[in-house]
Amino acid sequence: MTRKWLRWMPAVAVPAVIAAAALAGSLPASAGDPLPAKTPAEVLALVAQHSAPSLSGTLEQTSRIGLPELPQAGPSSGSGGAASVLELLSGPHTTRVFLDGPSNVRVQVLDRFAERNAVRSGDQVWLYSSKDNTAMHLTLPADAGHTKDFGHYKHRDTGMHGVMPTPEELAGRLIAAADPTTEVAVHPEVNVAGRAAYNLVITPRTEGTLIGSVAVAVDGESGLPLSVELKARGQEEPAFKLAFTSLSLEAPDASLFAFSPPPGATVKEIEVPAHGTGHWGKGHWPKHGTESGVVPDAEDPAPVAPDAVPPDAVEPDAVAPDYRDPNGALARPTVTGTGWESVVEFPASPASAEADAMLSNDPLLQQAAVAVPGGRLFSTAVVNVLFTDDGRVFAGSVPAERLLTAAAAR
Amino acid sequence: MPSREVPDREVPNRALPIREVAGTDGAADVGTAEPPSDRSSSGWPLLASELAVLFRRRRTWAMMLALAAVPVLMAIAVRASSAVPPGRGPAFLDRITQNGLFVGVTAMLVCVPLFLPLTVGVVAGDTIAGEAGLGTLRYLLVAPAGRVRLLLVKYAGAAGFCIVAPLVVALAGAGIGAALFPVGPVTLLSGDVITPEEAVVRLVLVAAYLTVSLLGLSAVGLFLSTLTDVPVGAMAATIVISVVSQVLGELPQLEWLHPWLFSHYWFGFADLLRQPIAWDAFGDNALLQAGYIAVFGALAYGRFVTKDILS
Repeated sequence: MTRKWLRWMPAVAVPAVIAAAALAGSLPASAGDPLPAKTPAEVLALVAQHSAPSLSGTLEQTSRIGLPELPQAGPSSGSGGAASVLELLSGPHTTRVFLDGPSNVRVQVLDRFAERNAVRSGDQVWLYSSKDNTAMHLTLPADAGHTKDFGHYKHRDTGMHGVMPTPEELAGRLIAAADPTTEVAVHPEVNVAGRAAYNLVITPRTEGTLIGSVAVAVDGESGLPLSVELKARGQEEPAFKLAFTSLSLEAPDASLFAFSPPPGATVKEIEVPAHGTGHWGKGHWPKHGTESGVVPDAEDPAPVAPDAVPPDAVEPDAVAPDYRDPNGALARPTVTGTGWESVVEFPASPASAEADAMLSNDPLLQQAAVAVPGGRLFSTAVVNVLFTDDGRVFAGSVPAERLLTAAAAR
Repeated sequence: MPSREVPDREVPNRALPIREVAGTDGAADVGTAEPPSDRSSSGWPLLASELAVLFRRRRTWAMMLALAAVPVLMAIAVRASSAVPPGRGPAFLDRITQNGLFVGVTAMLVCVPLFLPLTVGVVAGDTIAGEAGLGTLRYLLVAPAGRVRLLLVKYAGAAGFCIVAPLVVALAGAGIGAALFPVGPVTLLSGDVITPEEAVVRLVLVAAYLTVSLLGLSAVGLFLSTLTDVPVGAMAATIVISVVSQVLGELPQLEWLHPWLFSHYWFGFADLLRQPIAWDAFGDNALLQAGYIAVFGALAYGRFVTKDILS
């Protein structure tokens, strides 16, 4: 009898060992040398002076902002329309970023059996989507290299706006939001992608916002922001998280940046406006067999996660081009309230009507919107958007009642 | 360590040649009363015999032909019909007409959810229960091969099938694709272009990925096979488990469970079609399957060495 017991021992021991290993793996790894203590200002300075001329890394994005989740069923890669809009907002995404100097950039959004690529080499920019085998090409104007802020510069160039910004970009915007309305503190260090990082936590000092806290992990060595975590008020799990899962600061293979469209691909030339400040990355992203815009951009004030920061948290110069159509189709928004509690109002215009039409025509988006007195409310954990019946759009990281009050006041 | 359950004396020696068991070479192990042989105890002849029996079986050939029929039918259907618009049907289907090598990838993609688990379930479920059902198991154990080694050899045989099955699909696909469609530089998911030779390497890598993916299921099948003397029961149970695992993997409510399902990374081979290759899925998959092999291997060991072998 005892011998029989012995023979079942491996069957008991192996799962126990695996469970122990899984538990040990989920515990935070104890860092070898703790980072020298820094004040929030010092960490900010570290971010400000950071330079990562070349890197290759993998980014994971997860969001739980309260949108309906779509099953990623079956081996088919075909999905279009609102499904792909929601797909970008909800659910996980993996992106690989390759960077070599300021002018060689490659961003790959890894989809299920598909991939979206943005490649920049010098002044040549290629966008490629494997789903429908389409490529787009544009040549940057000569003055494009003069932008100071690298993160902003890159996102504009690659047209990745609204798809998956790097932590650099997000951190830059978030840290700009630090003002008297906000508490900024350095929490105990964290480990991101195997690197020790300062954990800068920003907490609004008001109760009138949906944002609970924003945490930015800053690499202790290079000052590169490694992850951004957005928590909604009262939520334990982050509503939005973007973090490096692997990172190497070595220069990637140069052949990665030499892109030419594959044979058989549909190639479209994009005219670049001579005026360099226009947001010409917008709408140029290869579309996934859909008529409506895939990339939520200025015409779609739906809660794109990166814009979940209160709009006035962002320096006006950086954000203004994003909200203004080059043709002036969308009038400048007005902002009411201050700090975290501010509400943005877009007056009635063809663009807002278009966004509203998209919302009401699409069954999936319709499901996410609820009817309220005087309009429809598109509600998520971190941002609320109200489409009034007279065509105006109100958005803000505030409770829905405040949007309704703002709409009624006018 | 004699095991009392094995009815040694009942077995006449002439019954041994039923299977060409390399008995003289093996040392004694659990299940026989023989003292350990001083010669090096290798299971290679036993494994060779097992593989020979497996791949000489008409059933195995029928399954491999059925697998090879998937890319052939697919290629003929695409050839006979008009161009497939992008985004319809399984991924890559629209690329077949431009490049025949995509038939192999598309066929593997189509085979992953059902056909490959089905055939692997048949082979893995048959390992022990098949011998028990035929009444040959006790003869195998009479030869001084030992239960542990028999279990290992049986698993290695099933693993051999896991290697061959995806390769059959890939190579049949590449072959029929090359026959019916032009072959040229292959466009990867990232939009980069590689030569046909490199593409064949990627095709073999994908097949290797599927081999690794199926090893966990084979271990489950081996364990189930030790539970019963009815091979059909073990086969059906293995296939049902593979379906259940995939269904659970589709339910967002069970998200916490997903990384623990052996089918979790089955479709991850797309990462081998990117430039540069993303190896994360391959590594995670291998680790997961190794865990399944360890757990169900240990279970199969516990069951098999304590089992009363009556047939």
